Amino acid sequence: MSLFDKFQPLAAARATLGDVSPAPIATPIEAVLSATRGRIGGKEVLLAGTNNYLGLTYDPSVLRAAAEALAELGSGTTGSRMANGSYDSHRGLENELAKAFGWSSAMVFSTGYQANLGSLSALAGKGDYLLLDSDSHASIYDGARLSQAETIRFRHNDPENLDRRLERLGADAARALIVVEGLYSMLGDQPPLEEFVKVKERHGAWLLVDEAHSFGVFGERGLGLTEASGLLDRVDFVVGTFSKSLAGIGGFCVSPHPELELMRLACRPYIFTASPSPATIAGTRAALRRLVEGQDLRAQLHRNFNRLYAGVRELGYRMGSEQPGPVAAIILPDRASALHHWRSLLEAGVYANLMIPPATPAGLNLLRISLSAAHSDEDVDLIVGALAEINVPA
Amino acid sequence: MTSDSLLKARQAIGTALTRALPEHPHLNWHQGLSSEAGLDSVQIMNLVMEVEDELDLSVPVDLLAEVNTLEELAERLAALIEEQA
Repeated sequence: MSLFDKFQPLAAARATLGDVSPAPIATPIEAVLSATRGRIGGKEVLLAGTNNYLGLTYDPSVLRAAAEALAELGSGTTGSRMANGSYDSHRGLENELAKAFGWSSAMVFSTGYQANLGSLSALAGKGDYLLLDSDSHASIYDGARLSQAETIRFRHNDPENLDRRLERLGADAARALIVVEGLYSMLGDQPPLEEFVKVKERHGAWLLVDEAHSFGVFGERGLGLTEASGLLDRVDFVVGTFSKSLAGIGGFCVSPHPELELMRLACRPYIFTASPSPATIAGTRAALRRLVEGQDLRAQLHRNFNRLYAGVRELGYRMGSEQPGPVAAIILPDRASALHHWRSLLEAGVYANLMIPPATPAGLNLLRISLSAAHSDEDVDLIVGALAEINVPA
Repeated sequence: MTSDSLLKARQAIGTALTRALPEHPHLNWHQGLSSEAGLDSVQIMNLVMEVEDELDLSVPVDLLAEVNTLEELAERLAALIEEQA
């Protein structure tokens, strides 16, 4: 009996992928050459499996801001926001995030994972309720585990199913925090957000929207699905990350409720960790400015994903979402087929993501392609052309 | 726990099984769901969602962590049914 015995089923699952190089899970990326090119297996490839939706990882304003902060403020804060890790720039970024939403308060976290972990666990305590979409990201489930609230799941993207659960809570619905995502990262689908808002309002509950994959992508100013749906005055919290459209690392929670400030005093994933490095904060502030004014980037990204969805559909593949978006998930019949597709794309010079259970909903085997505003029409055509060559549509 | 609520819970699980896990028609009620029947966490959660609809009852996610077999699930559900009656 060993502590490691419990990992054997995972090891067996990984072994079914074969022992070949480059590995499809945790693929070694030998070099990144630009927002859209990298080197894998000794070969230059098109990167179509990143979350670099606006392509800002090499934006000159982002690089300059980060480099200046690195030189001026040093490599790290060496401490928590509650101790020595609260610099003017951390507060500056929080003020800029709150202002972008037109809301009173924002908190910055060291990772996007911690933003969910911290927000859910601090907002929903003992005697409260968390109502989670069943396809929620692991950070949401883990936030629920850290919280002492009673956690209830509702069916994915099903406001009526949520309604029934809130109905059962009766007056306690006023102590319920509903959590949905602006874009689900596995299948690339979006929620019927306005319907969820109506259900929340009918029961007097609270709503948190995780815009990790939709921030920068949707809305005139890129604030996410909440903005794009005209619902900024009807949700209670938006959580997001710096590691996708903002091209850095970190996360945030922003709210129209000024009491969010109090959460700093109770939020363990915020208190018991070092604050983001000065370079990270400076780069993120520059990226945020570019994001808010980035209608040109969003137009290009939307052009790219509409083109990709059209091309993939034409090939006859089943997709995870009817609605085009930055994540295009191709549903394949089994693991072997998904792996074959992943390898074939890589051989054709395109890096995408292989996604298999238990990371995927409903046991699906997926080839996930993510697009960027930095991709060109030719890049999208390269992806579609590589898929066409595979010759075995599901 | 009354036999009525236990019976109701077992019936709901039976119906849920045919909807959520049609590929596992012969699950033993005393078999470990993940350790022996090989179900993953997503399959177990989906089964429970069907049971929730069937009983019009919300099942806290925590409860699942303590359940290993269908019979244990039935017992937990029966307790919930009575709690809410």
